[in-house]
Amino acid sequence: MMATLSDLKISEVKLSGKEAGKWGMVIDQDICTGCQACVAACAMENNISFVGEEDAGYGRSMHWIRIERFWEGEYPEVKMTPNQPMMCQQCGQAPCEPVCPAFATVHSMAEELNLQVYNRCVGTRYCANNCPYQVRSFNWRDYERPEPLPNQLNPDVTVRRRGIMEKCTFCIQRIHRAQDQAKAEGREVVDGEFTTACAQACPASAITFGRTDDPASLVSQLMKRRSHGVKHLEELGTLPNVTYFKGG
Amino acid sequence: MADHKNHAEHAEAHLREKHLMLDPLPRGKMNEMVMESMTEKPTWKFWLVFAVLSVITAYGLFYSWGVMIAEGLGVAGVNRPAYWGIFLVNTVFWIGISHAGTFISAILRVFKAEFRRPFTRAAELMTTFGLVQAGFSIFMHMGRVWLSYWLMPYPNQRMLWPNFHSPLSWDLLAITTYLLSSTMYLFLPLIPDVAMARDRSTGWRKTFYKVLALGFRGTEGEWTHLRNAMNIFAFAIIPVMFSVHTIVSWDFAAAMRPGWNSTIFGPYFVVGALHSGMGAVIIVLAVIRSTMKHMKYFIRAEHFDAIGKLMLIISMTWAYFFFNDYMVQWYGGDKWTKQLFHFHEAGPLGWMWFAMLIFNVAIPWAILWNPKWRSTPWLVAVVGIFINIGMWFERYIIVPISLTINRMPFTWRLYEPGIEIPLGIGTLTFFILLYMAASKLIPLIPVWEVQEGQMAHELKKFGRETVVTVSELE
Amino acid sequence: MSEQFSRRDFLKLAGLGAATTAVLTGCGPASRYVKREPYMEMPEYTATGQSTYYATTCRECAAGCGLVVRTHQGRAIKTEGNANHPLNLGKTCARGQASLQGLYNPDRVTDPIKAGSPLPMDWDAAIQVVADALKNNKPEEVAFLMGMAPDHLFDLVSDLAKETGMNAPIRFGALGMFEARATLSQAAGNLFGEAGLPYFDVGGAQVVLSFGANFLETWLSPVSYTRGFTGLREAQTKQRGTLVQFEARMSATGGKADEWIPLRPGTEALVALAIGKLAAEIKGGAMPRAFAGVDVLDAASKSGIKLETLEHIAGMFANSAGALAIPGGAALGQSNGLEVAEAVLALNALADNFGKPGGMSISALAPDQTEYHRPASAKEMQDFIQKMAGGKFKVLFVHGVNPFFELPNSLGFHSASKNVAQLISFSTFRDETAREANYVFPDHHGLEAWGYQRVATGAMQPVLSGAQPVVSPFYNTRATADVMIAAAQLAGGSFAQALPYADEVEFLQTKVASLLGEADGSFSAPNPQTFMAYFQQYGGWWRNMDGRVAPSASGALNRSIKGDMAEFAGEGEFFFIPFVSPTLAEAGANKPWLQELPDPTTTVMWNTWLEMNPETAHELHIENDDVVRVVSDAGALELPVYVYPAIRPDTVAMPFGQGHTAYGRYAEGRGVNPNDLLGQHFNEAGDLAFAGMKVKIEKTGKKRPLSRLESIMGVYGEGLGEEH
Repeated sequence: MMATLSDLKISEVKLSGKEAGKWGMVIDQDICTGCQACVAACAMENNISFVGEEDAGYGRSMHWIRIERFWEGEYPEVKMTPNQPMMCQQCGQAPCEPVCPAFATVHSMAEELNLQVYNRCVGTRYCANNCPYQVRSFNWRDYERPEPLPNQLNPDVTVRRRGIMEKCTFCIQRIHRAQDQAKAEGREVVDGEFTTACAQACPASAITFGRTDDPASLVSQLMKRRSHGVKHLEELGTLPNVTYFKGG
Repeated sequence: MADHKNHAEHAEAHLREKHLMLDPLPRGKMNEMVMESMTEKPTWKFWLVFAVLSVITAYGLFYSWGVMIAEGLGVAGVNRPAYWGIFLVNTVFWIGISHAGTFISAILRVFKAEFRRPFTRAAELMTTFGLVQAGFSIFMHMGRVWLSYWLMPYPNQRMLWPNFHSPLSWDLLAITTYLLSSTMYLFLPLIPDVAMARDRSTGWRKTFYKVLALGFRGTEGEWTHLRNAMNIFAFAIIPVMFSVHTIVSWDFAAAMRPGWNSTIFGPYFVVGALHSGMGAVIIVLAVIRSTMKHMKYFIRAEHFDAIGKLMLIISMTWAYFFFNDYMVQWYGGDKWTKQLFHFHEAGPLGWMWFAMLIFNVAIPWAILWNPKWRSTPWLVAVVGIFINIGMWFERYIIVPISLTINRMPFTWRLYEPGIEIPLGIGTLTFFILLYMAASKLIPLIPVWEVQEGQMAHELKKFGRETVVTVSELE
Repeated sequence: MSEQFSRRDFLKLAGLGAATTAVLTGCGPASRYVKREPYMEMPEYTATGQSTYYATTCRECAAGCGLVVRTHQGRAIKTEGNANHPLNLGKTCARGQASLQGLYNPDRVTDPIKAGSPLPMDWDAAIQVVADALKNNKPEEVAFLMGMAPDHLFDLVSDLAKETGMNAPIRFGALGMFEARATLSQAAGNLFGEAGLPYFDVGGAQVVLSFGANFLETWLSPVSYTRGFTGLREAQTKQRGTLVQFEARMSATGGKADEWIPLRPGTEALVALAIGKLAAEIKGGAMPRAFAGVDVLDAASKSGIKLETLEHIAGMFANSAGALAIPGGAALGQSNGLEVAEAVLALNALADNFGKPGGMSISALAPDQTEYHRPASAKEMQDFIQKMAGGKFKVLFVHGVNPFFELPNSLGFHSASKNVAQLISFSTFRDETAREANYVFPDHHGLEAWGYQRVATGAMQPVLSGAQPVVSPFYNTRATADVMIAAAQLAGGSFAQALPYADEVEFLQTKVASLLGEADGSFSAPNPQTFMAYFQQYGGWWRNMDGRVAPSASGALNRSIKGDMAEFAGEGEFFFIPFVSPTLAEAGANKPWLQELPDPTTTVMWNTWLEMNPETAHELHIENDDVVRVVSDAGALELPVYVYPAIRPDTVAMPFGQGHTAYGRYAEGRGVNPNDLLGQHFNEAGDLAFAGMKVKIEKTGKKRPLSRLESIMGVYGEGLGEEH
């Protein structure tokens, strides 16, 4: 049987115009200290390759999350802008999705996340060009991971080879593990039962992860309590699922 | 009275010298000339150039590509944020080159511009060979090229189709369609010439031409079919040609990036393609005119003059579109676009932006305005070289330089090409190699078209200009 | 199940089928060591698809954060914070996260090694070497140099030394040196009469004045202090707190400050006293003696801070109910570091915050401790090295520290070590010490090891943090405690009496079981075995009480404190501030992912850089990535420049963490070590005056591009072309 376009259900999610996604993140830039614990935690959880000095300095680092900081003013009135952790914003209407010719960048109906299907990716890198947040990392090489370093690889996460695009998944393996556990126990996933690697590590608790469609969840509470949250490049209509609190 | 007659004779001699259509040779003689230009024993210079180019192609294109497949795209210079580099520049460039062939043979055929006759074949070959290079360039840039067949809509067990939302999918379809149709369109007018060559050659050539000629004998019925087919293709391929480069432009225009998201990119790219394509045609004509036997008879100053005029007009059109694109985006006042335009002009590669305008506009305008200069083959060829460099710069500015600036200033980074350079040179040398091989295997001059034109020509006056037409023929 | 028989082998054999089973049983060489029986009960670490989680203690620094390590099929997969652990409450820093890259590092020492011998030793021979070293030398000729972790081994060696008359083990770590722990505890002693590590409750405070304390990076207990910072900023019940940072070079902590005040290095004490005087004036009453002697105008002009700024900060400090002042970092590593610490602690006395929420107190001592044991100061290390140089030691055991890298070159450890007949290293990695040692008897990695660590500061409760192996040892390594116990038994006599244990675990159980029956514990147990099992399961034991001590405020303000400016050694025109790399610290350089973490302030990866003010760089015609030569009176280094907008024009700074000459493929030959520039200058407490030098900058004409995550174009506007 042949699939038809309507079977593929490409556009329903996007056309629904639903503002709130399912999973979301709240980041408080006022308390983010830029310590890089999230970056390290993400790399350890998600089997991210390190690329070495030369490639790292040439915009080829594989970080799924990066902490941006700028400067304001000049010495002595110089200030560091609040650290801004930047990762895939899991857009509700993601610019990366329609441009992939191979359907490797798709929207998950169940999780309402942007998926990157590694084994479907042919490496056109169009998604990365079209990502306004520039949060996608491409495997420019087969990065070396000498023995016995592979022992720490997380069996829940695919190890990527050269020529493949990757990005933050909101630790979807953790979502699934929690869901499986909850299902086995015949209950719903409880808010705070699990969290992403970055949020779990963050010593400042600047990152909070949870269900944005559940008004009782901590992320929803935070977003409600502190109304000054911003979503980056919202004006592009991407419906990002990460909310930032900039000031105090 | 005698004076007057003398004067008239003199004028006619002048016209004969000037216009190929008014300077007929016996058919047998002309066929002989074309055969000779093709079959003459290649000189050592030919073989030397052929060998050097083969080595460069083997290293630049095939070996380097092998290395890149084995090592990953890290050996190239692409990075974040310039995820696309010279590969895409070359793709657009070669597709642009390929446009001239169709433009010359299809549009000029449809509009019955008679000066086209001797060089339609040379231009059509460029279309096919240019598309081959474009194909190489686009496949090279893929991270996992061994899976590129996934982009083709083929029925499969898992019901996985390519994403028809993606401009890249449209692109692939458009380029494939264009490659197929332009190859057919190259082949159709070739049939009578190959049949002619079949009748005049022996040995392996005879077998080769026999196969290609598909048994063409020149009967009235065959000619009718051929003419019909060519007419259909000539009309049908024009929209394909426009669509291809429009779709190529959508790769950029449909993306939400400052500097790319421009509604005028479609026609702008088509005109840009013609600009570089005409420049390339003129270079090829100058080269074959000066290197191949008897070509000075077929390709004359009038042709350079005529193409020169076209180049001038296209250059003006390109300038108009460039200005339009720039003006509207600048006027939009988006801060990222402003930053990008500033970067184009004042950034580390700002010289390229100015060189683009000088090569694409200033030089053609300054030189092609003058009929005398326009009729000087080497000079027009030099202008063609400048235009091609300028248009390559234009694509370089659109692809890696524009990718440098995005909405996340934390990631801005310059692009430094790596293995793209040998790969790019490899596509160029491969193009030349294909052309050299073709010049020895198929008649570069569509000799039946020239003869047809010479038989049926008529002089018409349009204003002060005497023009050769064969409008009565069809 | 026998160890030699892996699950894979079992499956292979099982695949042969029942028919061949009879043939295999009872014959062939395999049967002699393979006990072939089916898994009636799968060992928990091999249960397919199931992860097992073990609580342990992080060994990446000495703070003692609790970890829970996820293991899968016998492999450690991920470290997370132990949510129940009072110090870190489930959080970890980047170094803790990357500790698995130490465990599975490709450059570990795999077997015991004798220098110069191509073949590895076996452990029996190794233990014999240790036993001989103990037995055949006079007790005072044997010395132990140990790191700041783990504590159980330190206790074991201390017991051994006490019993046999050997030198008591000396502890040192570069982190402790840069934290100036001796200065902090001596200042507390001078002011309050009880030496201990001060604890600053940042989370409860309203206004925090930090004099150089980089408490969000590596200082004392960064995870705990970062949590405090969150409390300062986000507490629900109070207003958002303010952080004011006084330092000449903006640290990652300074980057988070609401006000960053670049004062002239060396004037911290003066500024603290001036603020104290102004604040005391606002508060009214008699001027405390501590602040009476300072001239505020003079302080303002010497420090380069505007008088209005001082008044404004003093006003904030005086009028806040939750004012707190913290001394630390480079402010203490100067010739007058002790005065700085005293002046700043006196500010807390003025704020009258001792023992209050948001105030200062003395850190809780670990449950089994009666007084704070600080690591050796640099001055004490100097004495130790002089003894080494004088040939006083025949044997030097080194564990948990890499003195060839962590000590300033000028102290001469390298040349002094030549006068030690036998240098025995227990290093897990092929570091500089392992390279120089006569023997390397590799200890397990921290995640393969038993042990405990006392939490010195950062937690409210007294905490003894427990460590257990989360995976079986990957290489032919052996716990140093086991080696010492075995060697002591072998050596016999008082040695054997000192360590009457079968192995490390028994030793640990003896120590830990002493807590059994103590009140207010996080758990109790009916017997030592159960207690020990809980200790491992929970990752430690802590008292459910606030163990912090409020110092007496009485005397603190009635001492006069000198407000002299610090003296700087060297000829150069630039103040030199070395700081500990927040991501690499002293031992992170061999972990590739730590190398690839961008520095929080500069985003540089994989290298060392020199920070320089843009104006200074402009004047000297120096650009980013230009390699310069930094010359101090103790040495010279060449390294590339990072033009840093938040540093005083008269100051340059560089991170400590790189510059290894050994320590594996990821560390070796990468960057430079600021220790090479540091001279033998100390403050009054004996800590190294690491920020008490002036250096010269010379251009070399070379370039060495630094790898940054940030875009120079996007962040600094460089290379974008002239502005409109």
